[in-house]
Amino acid sequence: MNPEFERNLWLELTPRRVALMVGVLALIFFAAALVGNEWTPSGAASALYYLIVVVWGSRSAALSVVGEIRDRTWDGQRLSSLSAGTMMWGKLFGATIYNWLGGAICLTLILVDVAVHQGALAAVIEGLFHVGIGIIAQSAALLASLMAIGRRQSHSRFEIFIYQMIGLVAALLVYYAWSAADPASSLILHAPPTDFVTWWGITIDARLFFLNSIEIFAGWTLLGCYREMRLELKMHNGPLVWLAFLAFMGIYVAGFDAWLSSDLKTWDPVALRLLLAGITFAALTYVMVLLEPKDRVFYRWMLGQIRHGHIARALSGMQAWMMSYWAAFAVAGALFLWLLLHDMQAAVVGQPLVLATMGFITRDVSIFVLMQTLPGKRRGDFAALAILFALYVLFPSILAGLQAFAGLILLYPQLPAPSWTGVIVAWIEGASIAALALGRLALTDEKGKTVPI
Amino acid sequence: MIEVEDLVYEYPTARALKGVSLTVADQTITALVGPNGAGKTTLLRCLAALEDPYSGRVVIDGLDTTQKAREIHARMGYLPDFYGLYDDLTVRRCLTYAARSHGIASALAAAAVQKAAGRVGLLDRLESKAGELSRGLRQRLAIGQSIVHEPHVLLLDEPAAGLDPQARRDLSTLLIQLRDGGMTLVVSSHILAELEDYCSEMIIIENGLIAGGKAIKVRDDARPRYMIELATARSDLKDFLAARGADVVEADQNHALIVFTRNAGARAKLVRELVTAGFDVASFAESSKALEDAYFAQVGHGR
Repeated sequence: MNPEFERNLWLELTPRRVALMVGVLALIFFAAALVGNEWTPSGAASALYYLIVVVWGSRSAALSVVGEIRDRTWDGQRLSSLSAGTMMWGKLFGATIYNWLGGAICLTLILVDVAVHQGALAAVIEGLFHVGIGIIAQSAALLASLMAIGRRQSHSRFEIFIYQMIGLVAALLVYYAWSAADPASSLILHAPPTDFVTWWGITIDARLFFLNSIEIFAGWTLLGCYREMRLELKMHNGPLVWLAFLAFMGIYVAGFDAWLSSDLKTWDPVALRLLLAGITFAALTYVMVLLEPKDRVFYRWMLGQIRHGHIARALSGMQAWMMSYWAAFAVAGALFLWLLLHDMQAAVVGQPLVLATMGFITRDVSIFVLMQTLPGKRRGDFAALAILFALYVLFPSILAGLQAFAGLILLYPQLPAPSWTGVIVAWIEGASIAALALGRLALTDEKGKTVPI
Repeated sequence: MIEVEDLVYEYPTARALKGVSLTVADQTITALVGPNGAGKTTLLRCLAALEDPYSGRVVIDGLDTTQKAREIHARMGYLPDFYGLYDDLTVRRCLTYAARSHGIASALAAAAVQKAAGRVGLLDRLESKAGELSRGLRQRLAIGQSIVHEPHVLLLDEPAAGLDPQARRDLSTLLIQLRDGGMTLVVSSHILAELEDYCSEMIIIENGLIAGGKAIKVRDDARPRYMIELATARSDLKDFLAARGADVVEADQNHALIVFTRNAGARAKLVRELVTAGFDVASFAESSKALEDAYFAQVGHGR
């Protein structure tokens, strides 16, 4: 047996805890059966499943590694000879095994009820959905905690709550998508149910599409956990998996061009799909630059590798946000050329918009890096987020209040009529802050002299 | 064998190790000493392949820590200065988990647990929960966990902190047994006296560098250290001793710390020559503080 899983079994499934879980659940189901009316044992089981597996399970998963760090046992585990996969599975399903015990009892009741009323196939689909949402919530919480450990932030109760919340948000997104395809969704979401999804021009049954999407995203989340665990165990990750994820996300999101607003539907379909892929990569750039550690020592190392001509070594060490940034850049270039060659009418707006956007993205990611180089409490992502809030919300509100709309060109790309002046402004800002950030990465010695890279 | 070449380790705003190079021979116990903040724990964590150096290399048994970290972990034992235990597990289960997670098969784990528990004197506590053990017993369990897989290299960061005198003596005996059994040990500590009993080499780390540039041999049974004390000051003491084959570690007008042969006849001859030359020899004795003497001699030279 997986030693990490076995250790968790010793700690989590003591006879007393098992008896407690079984006893409490039995009492609740019995009470639900007695009350009757809208309360049924399967209804109670459904609510309890989400509570035990999703809400509580996310916390257990978030604590699986963070708890080891807090209890000072993590270094011992890192020094074991367990593989990253063994450690990851052992943590994910070991730390949550008590939740899955309760979840299994609840799920049995749910599936029996579905099988009796809707048939075996519906029960299988329901089972896959429930297991999938549990795995997504728990693995998202574990992934968030592992990424935070890489940032050396992981100990406080508030931070653990944040990781749990990330798991819950992932589960809510899944639940929302699933419910949108539920014939009964109008009762919950006050929206008409979606029977079919148009993706890459193909019409697909909504439940089938969302079920497959859930399982695929669960797979990506688990792969993310595995790769973060590899880093913790001092194994190196190459760039290929993230590049594959970018390709998947680009293709997945580009398929939703039919959902775009009518304003953009005058664009060429290929340009629309490039636009969607580019927006996806840009969004992933922001997400990853926020989540990944922005370690000055690592950036100095990268600059040193480039300076010494070890380009391949530097490229193999690229962080996910850097790859996403360059992918966005590549797609922006492709879109620029496509519009130039195929759709001159759209190019009037599209080309300056794309270039200005890339300039402002360069500025924004440089702000994140720059904020890490500041001394003391001024340092960090919170400061970067505050600056972005000022740039995108606060200053525009002030300028709008002063009727100084021309000033907005300094802050973000202007729609519906982006100008080439805006492109120049965006790139001056982007290049200046990038140069400032790179300049501040250098290490100085006690005498204030720069230590050579 | 442990080989470190020009190791540089950086924190975001400071360089903790500034080009450390050293070699630790097989089957030795090496003391890693130095003031607080000198870089001892950082160096140990780099040796344990828990931290990647900024530049330079650490090679353990021929394996580079940046390339083969997991292979190194499998043959490494490491006891950090602040460690944790699974308080709700019994000693047997703690050791079983340590054995299994280091690749020992289920069928062999029980024997490995018995052996490790016997080595650290916990055979009678196997069914006690870790959380119920005293501080000294917890320390023993932590050491037991780090040796249950018979590592080639054992790194200990302040292993005797908080131990009573008897437990410290037991620890010394255990470390010597492990060395004699084939392990290579590096022990970090502030307390030189506790290292005196078992360390043969010493690495002094100061301000991110190895003081003196290499490990210092502090214990040589064939050529121990002797302290000579004079009743009357003589400025030529150092030269006189050096001319007679003694390696003078440190000397002033009243004292000299020398490395000299253990041979009784040679020692008697040296004392005789000192007296004949008019030195008022008040004492001539083997130094009981070899490590401490060497430390302050080296740190003193560096300042």
